[in-house]
Amino acid sequence: MTYLLVLLALLGCMALLDARWKLFFWARPWAAAVVMAAGMAYFLAWDVRAIAEGIFLHRDSPLMTGIMLGPQLPLEEAFFLAFLCYQAMILFTGTLALLRRRSATRSVARSVARPAPARAPEPSRTAEPAGTEDSA
Amino acid sequence: MSYLELNAVFLGIAAAAALAALVLRWAGRGSLRRAGAAMASTLAVLLVLTAVFDNAMIAAGLFDYSGHALSGARVGLAPLEDFAYPLGAALLLPALWMLLAVRGKGGD
Repeated sequence: MTYLLVLLALLGCMALLDARWKLFFWARPWAAAVVMAAGMAYFLAWDVRAIAEGIFLHRDSPLMTGIMLGPQLPLEEAFFLAFLCYQAMILFTGTLALLRRRSATRSVARSVARPAPARAPEPSRTAEPAGTEDSA
Repeated sequence: MSYLELNAVFLGIAAAAALAALVLRWAGRGSLRRAGAAMASTLAVLLVLTAVFDNAMIAAGLFDYSGHALSGARVGLAPLEDFAYPLGAALLLPALWMLLAVRGKGGD
């Protein structure tokens, strides 16, 4: 049971990050549902093939519920795969959002440092550190 | 079939999806560099977490492998082949997400 509870808690953490930053289900719910369903199908097919080839062996453990979805395939594996998929997408969409925001603030900083002459021909008020960061 | 051969089949699917998504994104003038960087950092984090927690879970006795199907290369207790799962996740899922965006609003 412990392992299942840990996985559920981790899924909950991903959902909190998702909701707070509107990353995945909170950004495009239908696309997110399709991605999750496809990811689950993909990894379950991978698992089932590996089990059929005799590669994966389930071990009875006091940490698990003992509920089996199929031969050698415990209930926990489905939740693990869901967590793997959700976590991958939170990492991906989160990093994209971070990179996008960083490049947005950088372009704002650049336009502040060098105002477009057509729009802001004011005389320079103070000594502004123009282009301190850019080496261009 | 060995674990390595099985992985090659599934990673092939994920790699094809990733390629398609990146090509379409490039054609659609989305930020290819940013998408590539986000996929790479997703992969890096997933690989590190796999190295840590796959070892922990094998040590805890949650599952095992039949030795004949493994190449024998291991990272601690974790068979090297297990790292195909995070690789597949970092390739396939962001690729599908981007492909769905191309068909939809064309968002970033």
